[in-house]
Amino acid sequence: MHRYFFLTSFLLFIASGLVFWRQNQSLKPIAITTSITGKTEYCLTCHADIPEISPSHPVETFGCVLCHGGEPLALDADLAHSTMRGGSNPSDLSVVETSCGGEMCHSGTAQANRDHIQRVTTSLQATYAGAIAQVRYAFGAQPDLTARMGVYAIDGLAAFDSAAESSPALRSFAVNCLTCHLSSQPLEGKNYNRWTGCSACHSPAPRTDGTQVHKLTTAMPYTQCNACHNRGNYSLADMQFHPRQDAPTDRLHDYYQPIAVFTRCEYTLDCADCHTRQEAMGDGHIYSSKKDIQYVRCKTCHGTPDALPLTHIIIDENDLALRLAFLNPVIDLKVGDTILMTDKGEPLWNIRELPGAAGETPTYELFSKATGDRFTFKPVMGSTCQQNPNQPQASSCHECHATQR
Amino acid sequence: MDLFMKASLAGSALLGLGALGRYISFQVESGHPSKYDLGPASDYPAGSSTPAPEIPALIIHNDQGFKALSLVCPHLGCTVNVTDEGFACPCHGSRFLRDGSLRNGPASHPLTSLKVEVNDDGQLILYMA
Repeated sequence: MHRYFFLTSFLLFIASGLVFWRQNQSLKPIAITTSITGKTEYCLTCHADIPEISPSHPVETFGCVLCHGGEPLALDADLAHSTMRGGSNPSDLSVVETSCGGEMCHSGTAQANRDHIQRVTTSLQATYAGAIAQVRYAFGAQPDLTARMGVYAIDGLAAFDSAAESSPALRSFAVNCLTCHLSSQPLEGKNYNRWTGCSACHSPAPRTDGTQVHKLTTAMPYTQCNACHNRGNYSLADMQFHPRQDAPTDRLHDYYQPIAVFTRCEYTLDCADCHTRQEAMGDGHIYSSKKDIQYVRCKTCHGTPDALPLTHIIIDENDLALRLAFLNPVIDLKVGDTILMTDKGEPLWNIRELPGAAGETPTYELFSKATGDRFTFKPVMGSTCQQNPNQPQASSCHECHATQR
Repeated sequence: MDLFMKASLAGSALLGLGALGRYISFQVESGHPSKYDLGPASDYPAGSSTPAPEIPALIIHNDQGFKALSLVCPHLGCTVNVTDEGFACPCHGSRFLRDGSLRNGPASHPLTSLKVEVNDDGQLILYMA
């Protein structure tokens, strides 16, 4: 009897010793207590080498779990990662509301300019509603081009269900052509490499060796847009994607739609230098075509022979332009500056009117959002341009200003 | 029961109690304390504005006595920087005047005033909550 007691005690002693030894061998947690939640997390124990994702999201304020999910106090990698949202990408639209939402973050009110998620999830880039409407109309599944369906149901759009379509072409469309929208995985190949969700535009794509760059930015070069918009064409004839066959070696030719013509600013600047937040991310309404939401044209910056471009004087320190310039400080914007403004009142915060004498034709300076490069330009008014003011479309400008490619 | 058996059982019991105590007493590293001893109040002379060491707070000693401002931005909790004109949040650009009042958003509230007092030992005590 005593022998059994002794043996049991001895085994317990050894087992306890092993437990303490194992504990001392295990990782020493590196804790941060984030100021936004007041909660402690141990993620930095393994991930201290990951660079901060942006100056607006410092790790000591946000931590990791607020955006990525996961088990904050787990030191075992599998357990810690078991409840992460969106894998490496918490901005995937399937989880974005939980990851990036919140009244003070990216799903607040339009008045506070915090309705990013509402706008993106209803945008054409996310719903693909315009393309779906076009193709369904082309194959007789709907009577007009009005958007009725998206890749998911939202805000009056039904979810596109290929199984419910009678046309074989529409079923092929569903299989072969739904690879563009923000919630789809991209095609294979480095030319198509991108994230989904917010990161499709705001994060560099994973490198060709599979490693990732932990970064969020509003300084997006045209190459970011090219991951979707420079890829080739979907053919309605065979419902297949046809990659570009040319191999552009310069910027002029490395632009989407190889057959299109461009003026110098279109292939010198980056897409985001002219196109606005609402054009790219939507304005919260459902549209049936890109033409209905993409409204910035040559005249937005250059005006017409009869009118200068619209301007906006910054008189309030809470002006949205100042806030946007703060996030990407390529320009030292300040109260009193005059910037250009779109027809819908969106600030072109990176384009400022230079001070000049009264009555003098103004000069404007544009700062590239991606590079910080400075360009100056004059308006059409006061120039020798003979454009018909009733034809302000880009195609009219291209008649004289397009570069042959 | 012989002595050896008793010692074995006592050892096991102690080990068990130790493990139990360790389990019960385990605490995740708690957040920030709610009260700080900032040292002698004389280290903060009249007319001075002194960032509290290691704490996101500014200790102001003016003719009305001691006051303290939290340097945590009321927008999303980043630590604001002290500037010539007041305070500026490096995360989203909110700015505050020297008295902590809001100059521009996205924050919608001023910097938080914190309770600060000199105790009987002449030590300056800062309360974060």
